[in-house]
Amino acid sequence: MTIQPGLTGSIFFLSITGSSMTEAILVVLIIVPFFAALACLLIRSTACRACIVIATAAMLAVSSLLLQGPLAPDAGLRWAGLIDPLITGCDFLLLAVMFYLGCRYRHPLIVLLTAGQLGLFVRLEFFVFAKDRGHALFQVDVLSLTLVRVVCLVGGLICLHAIPYMQAHEQHQNPARSRQPQFFALLLLFLGAMNGLVLTNHLAHFYFFFELTTLCSFLLIGHDRSKEAMDNALTALWMNGLGGLLLLFAIQGLYGQSAMLDMTGLAAATAGNQAALLPLSLLLLAAFTKSAQLPWQRWLLGAMVAPTPTSALLHSSTMVKAGVYLALRFAPAFAHTLLAQGLMLAGGFTFLAAAALAIGQRNAKKVLAYSTISNLGLIFACAGIGTPAAVAAAMLLILFHAVSKGLLFLCVGTAEQQVHSRDIEVLRGLCARMPLTGMIAVLAVLTLIVPPFGMLLGKWLVFEAGADHLVFYLMLVLGSSFTLLYWVRLAGTLLASGQVEGFKPERQPLLSRFPLVALACGAVVLALGAPILYGRLLPGGQTWSAGRGGVLTTAVGSFPLDVLFAVAALLGLLALFGVSRAMAGRKAFPYLAGANTRLPDHFVGPMNRPVRAMVENSYLAPFFGEERWTLWVNLAAAGFLLVMLGGALWQ
Amino acid sequence: MQTTALALAVLGAALLLGGLLSGLDRRLTARLQSRQGPPFTQPFFDVIKLLAKERMVTNPWQAFSPLATLSAAACALLLFAWQGDLLVILFVHMAGGVFLVLGAMASPSPYSQIAGQRELWQMLCCETLLFVMAGALYLTTGSFRVSGAAALGEPLLYRLPLLFAAFLLALTVKMRKSPFDLAGCHHAHQELVRGVFTEYVGPHLGLLEIAHWLEVVLYLAICSLFWATGPWGMILLPLTAFLAVIVLDNVSARLTWRWMLGWGWGAAFVLSAVNLFWLKG
Amino acid sequence: MGLIDKLISTARRSSPWLLHFDCGSCNGCDIETLACLTPVYDVERFGVVNVGNPKHADILLVTGTVNLRNREVLAVLYEQMPEPKVVVAIGACGLSGGIFREAPNVVGGVDKVIPVDVYVPGCPARPEAIIDGVVLALEKFRGKALAVL
Repeated sequence: MTIQPGLTGSIFFLSITGSSMTEAILVVLIIVPFFAALACLLIRSTACRACIVIATAAMLAVSSLLLQGPLAPDAGLRWAGLIDPLITGCDFLLLAVMFYLGCRYRHPLIVLLTAGQLGLFVRLEFFVFAKDRGHALFQVDVLSLTLVRVVCLVGGLICLHAIPYMQAHEQHQNPARSRQPQFFALLLLFLGAMNGLVLTNHLAHFYFFFELTTLCSFLLIGHDRSKEAMDNALTALWMNGLGGLLLLFAIQGLYGQSAMLDMTGLAAATAGNQAALLPLSLLLLAAFTKSAQLPWQRWLLGAMVAPTPTSALLHSSTMVKAGVYLALRFAPAFAHTLLAQGLMLAGGFTFLAAAALAIGQRNAKKVLAYSTISNLGLIFACAGIGTPAAVAAAMLLILFHAVSKGLLFLCVGTAEQQVHSRDIEVLRGLCARMPLTGMIAVLAVLTLIVPPFGMLLGKWLVFEAGADHLVFYLMLVLGSSFTLLYWVRLAGTLLASGQVEGFKPERQPLLSRFPLVALACGAVVLALGAPILYGRLLPGGQTWSAGRGGVLTTAVGSFPLDVLFAVAALLGLLALFGVSRAMAGRKAFPYLAGANTRLPDHFVGPMNRPVRAMVENSYLAPFFGEERWTLWVNLAAAGFLLVMLGGALWQ
Repeated sequence: MQTTALALAVLGAALLLGGLLSGLDRRLTARLQSRQGPPFTQPFFDVIKLLAKERMVTNPWQAFSPLATLSAAACALLLFAWQGDLLVILFVHMAGGVFLVLGAMASPSPYSQIAGQRELWQMLCCETLLFVMAGALYLTTGSFRVSGAAALGEPLLYRLPLLFAAFLLALTVKMRKSPFDLAGCHHAHQELVRGVFTEYVGPHLGLLEIAHWLEVVLYLAICSLFWATGPWGMILLPLTAFLAVIVLDNVSARLTWRWMLGWGWGAAFVLSAVNLFWLKG
Repeated sequence: MGLIDKLISTARRSSPWLLHFDCGSCNGCDIETLACLTPVYDVERFGVVNVGNPKHADILLVTGTVNLRNREVLAVLYEQMPEPKVVVAIGACGLSGGIFREAPNVVGGVDKVIPVDVYVPGCPARPEAIIDGVVLALEKFRGKALAVL
């Protein structure tokens, strides 16, 4: 559907070769990563591994851009006879592995949940599902295209960044035997699994990929093998295992309603069907666990012990998006029901509460984690609102969030390897120590909160779509203000330094720098293209741009993106002039009541010794601390989930 | 071309109005304190003087931020003048505040750092109220566009009295008058040197002063939405609100930011939420 | 002199923002200085603002003797003021060290550390004299270079 202008030649080529070419692309997107992962595992040479990762990332990036929908309904169908048993076999293998892990780490909950899944799966596979499955195996619409491109482009860049990162990481950890082969194998495997997850149209296959990402997540969180890492990995495994079980129940219920496993078909067929609301609500619960929505946020917060590429790839840009993907995919099925209202409120509450908890955090990665949870809540709420504009807003949010948040994780990770801390107070003044990384981090924060960047456009759409629901609107208002607060505080803390010198980027490996710069450029360029994107994301492109280009007009408001960009460009020019003028002027020291020393942020202390002027941010722990509030917030969130379920049952 | 000229004219008028209002404020405040006060044109002299002073920065962001804040304020005002979307206006206006805080926090000076934090609390309080007001505008007029208020046919104030009270509170804070420990006004009772402005010097401070004028005009313009049935209401209501805020400030000179964040914001938010539910119900 | 220059020059003389630094005064001169802000004298009539921040100030009012301890602070405050700026030394101590000038820790008058433009005598200096000194200091701006916008 989206055509890249530079690739017109290839598109032409595509159109003549037809569906077999599309099938080839699907193979590259889903199957090739698995083989690349295998190669990473077998070949232990560092250089070869780097080559494999780079080649795979490049291949995925190109394929994802070449892919376009809609697919012919029979795409891949001739191999259904092969794919089906293969995936079923792999499913059993996967569940067996999870069962083994549960036994090995003596985690009864995991054993129980996996056994439950196994039993249910056997029942479904052999006794319930009819043999005939004559529907499209794959599904390429704007939603899956958006996610595939996020996975391949953002994910690919994160993989590149991981190459130097993991080398430095191992030097620091110094294990007896390099564990990088497993790490990269899992990363690539995950890319394939994620592509499969968003491209498949078969609910049982979806379940397989869903569980596969869970397993990848477990192994990657536990990568460092420390006690804390293993504990948190196990938490992630059981919570996501619960999600898998709920998903299976949902599949059973949905199949019982309309006897098919065609995801788009199901979404259309169950619309208006009251009896389908219960399985749909189970489906949403599964999605909530996957996206770490309250009260299941614990696993995502714990997952932050993993090396940063894992956090960037799985726990912010892609895997946690699987949940919202599921909700958006089935949004037509529960539109305008009490369940949808419940989903909106539960999502809105997560948005608000996670943003509030982020304020009380001084661990930078945890702030990012909470903000991810919060944003996912907003996307769930969009699925709950369910209007075309809201769904398009959700996709915009997915896209912009993935780019900016992935970028922020990479920045924090890069910084962490230099300063060996994730504490915001230790990262204070990062822009002086690591000018490039620091500036990119500040830019990434700005793309999240300031117009004309895309994230705010998405939020604006949600405001306009949600204004009819008062409670939700108030949640939205409060949550947005909290969000603004913790982001500005983080960016300001990174900026704080009294050294006025020219901008000299620090030295760093090319593979670290390239993803940072590329993602930063991507974040800005994507914002420029937001109107075009939005036009494509809306089904039929209605309500888009009445009159001038560059103004997004909805029924109740308008977002003059052209004006905002013009102002931003003008500001950029002025700033170039103004900042260079200011830099040419006299250098000033910060105001320290006149007691300055030669060092910019030191004052004259006792015995004429320089003392550093220390200020820490106010995190207001009594009001926003997680120790105090997590329990209550979780109870409230559980309440909202009950309301959601109740809404489903009531109808 | 015509649009550009018109935009410049609007900005010029807003500058003149903003400066005069600031002069009026200083003079009235002086009178309330049994002093004579400076001439009405004083703010213009202040700004011209500042613009002609030497440039000094501790961090390049202090040169960038005033430009960004001013652009945001001007853009928000123009969007208002062109009857734009109130949400977008608030977003743009908020971006100005973001850059102001970033510039303040970019300096390691403790005064500026703490003031930056407090400014964030202030934004939290005021922006939420303004956004709730945007929601109320939508509920009453069916549109987020500013033009909706005039099309309504009766003053918005009749439907949103509680919200107007909350708005007055936000206006007091936004005009940088109270609470004293985050205010950046010209009174000699500030706690943190001069709050977020401490580290901005000369021309950069001058630009921020201009941005503040434009912001005050924007708030008063938003205030005028409450009585948008005719020119008299649109002039008298903001003027009354402006005078009320000056009196309010002078009778409550020692309000702290903790009060603002606790009682002030709590009460105002509850008031506006009640008003919203009342509208809907 | 062009119109803009004239405007800037007028603006500077109409908007003197003061920084008052107590170098080691007995507080006599400080009280008189602050008295200028009270309703009786109300220097804000002339656009005077007491800013308490060297980065915003045009005129530095110094009271009291300079000693070995606060010499550095005085120098830093002066340095942190953006150009154009003038200094007014107030009271006998500020002028010469006053009765403390023989003390071992005393450096002397303000002009031992930074250049002083206007001297306001008195022990303590009267508010009228201080206002007079500030008005005289304003005239000193005439000679200062005009920064380009």
